[in-house]
Amino acid sequence: MEPSITTTRSRRLRRTSLALALVFACSLSATVLAKETEAEKAAKEQAAREKLLQVFVSEPYLELSTGPGRGYPVFRVVERDASVDVLYRRTDWFKVRDEHGIEGWARARDMRRTKLADGSPFVFNLGDRDGFTSHDWEIGLGGGDYGGANLLNVYGAYSLTDNMKVDVTVSNFLGNASNGWKLEAGITHVIVPEWRLSPFLELGTGVVHIEPRATIVLPEDRTDQTAYVGAGLRFYLTRRFFLRADYRWHTIFTSRDDNEELEEWKVLIACFF
Amino acid sequence: MESPNRLLLLAAALSAALTLTGCQTIKGWFGKEDVEPKQTEDQAAAEEEAEDTDATPPRVIEPNVARRKIKTPKIDNENWEIGVGAGFLSIEDFGTNPSYAGQITYHVTEDFFFRGDLGQSTAGKTSFERLGGDIELLTGDERRFTYYSLSLGYNFLPGEVFLGRDTAMNSSFYLLGGIGSVDFAGDQRLTLNLGAGFRVLPTDWLAIHLAVQDRVFDSDLLGETKVTNNIEMLLSTTVFF
Repeated sequence: MEPSITTTRSRRLRRTSLALALVFACSLSATVLAKETEAEKAAKEQAAREKLLQVFVSEPYLELSTGPGRGYPVFRVVERDASVDVLYRRTDWFKVRDEHGIEGWARARDMRRTKLADGSPFVFNLGDRDGFTSHDWEIGLGGGDYGGANLLNVYGAYSLTDNMKVDVTVSNFLGNASNGWKLEAGITHVIVPEWRLSPFLELGTGVVHIEPRATIVLPEDRTDQTAYVGAGLRFYLTRRFFLRADYRWHTIFTSRDDNEELEEWKVLIACFF
Repeated sequence: MESPNRLLLLAAALSAALTLTGCQTIKGWFGKEDVEPKQTEDQAAAEEEAEDTDATPPRVIEPNVARRKIKTPKIDNENWEIGVGAGFLSIEDFGTNPSYAGQITYHVTEDFFFRGDLGQSTAGKTSFERLGGDIELLTGDERRFTYYSLSLGYNFLPGEVFLGRDTAMNSSFYLLGGIGSVDFAGDQRLTLNLGAGFRVLPTDWLAIHLAVQDRVFDSDLLGETKVTNNIEMLLSTTVFF
């Protein structure tokens, strides 16, 4: 008995070491590949340069850091009236390339002070209080209570207008009597999006899958349609973060004679972009 | 009683409105003297033009430059990071076993990020099962340990890692904390997860992570309910997009 366990264990260990080595090799080869094709990439990007946004430094200089974070050192400055091409953005940093082909990261706050070719200021979403009022997307995660069960949530929403959002929520609930998941889509109406603490109303529908726990004698797993109406509050924290707390009143359209009614409370931490 | 007054007021308002709008055209009614100077201006312009033609050659090119409309190209946002990894998971009482996981991260600011993990491992045998001969606590399917977690992460100690003299890679440590669920031994439980990791970026779009996470949940598998700590170490590769 003992030896066979050891061999299966060691075989499993070997397999994992192999997988680990593979992951490492993959990443290393990707690095090498990235280096080899850099010359090609530069040429290709040169061709695509027309598609990149060019901005001009209007302050005395623009600092470029080695990485997208305040901890990374500044290694280059671009002088006034010189231009940089904007490659892409990561959080509040822009990867740019200067006229000499040197690439670095510029802070969003500094980029806000650059100018476009026609002299107009370079404007973009900074992720501040104005962004909280008006943005395209938001995502969030959190937990709460769903009819007495623990609830885990992820949601994403797209803003049709500042007031109106379409959202999708995926939830997993873990209760004493049953576990399950639900998938819902709905519409949220934010009444006054300008307010820091702003109330909203919501309405939606979805499906809920309930699996009774093994120890409880109950009918088999079931999937039912559900609909909800709810209300909640959004509170702007800082930067791109806000809290979203809501109450939903659910009706589950069961195949039995009676519909089931459930209450849901949750708090999520969310961000907009 | 009131209606004649109202009528009077209405009539007054109507006439006032008409007069006011009409006033603008009054200029045109007796506008002979207004038109005349215009004509003289035209004549003067024509005379000037005639003088011009005498002095300088006529303009050949008409300046017809339309203002170019600048269309701002859309800037690519690269805040998402996705990847896979492999490592080891120590399931309390069930030994240490290989695990595989996928992860997706959204970087909100340079400091904070949201992360979702989904992973799987297979539990080994408890010492009770190993010593007790043919006893099997769990069936094969029940030994599968599947988890997911939703975490908030915080980057700290950003820095650079040096490989030899010429290569510097950006790096950072991070802390993770969140909630999730684990499906193990035929039951699904709520978990809390806490962890820390180290991330190196060979290029700006590629990252290698080494992270340790503890997944804590209540278990009553071995008789009494207790808090179990399940520590996992993962090496993963991710790409930014």
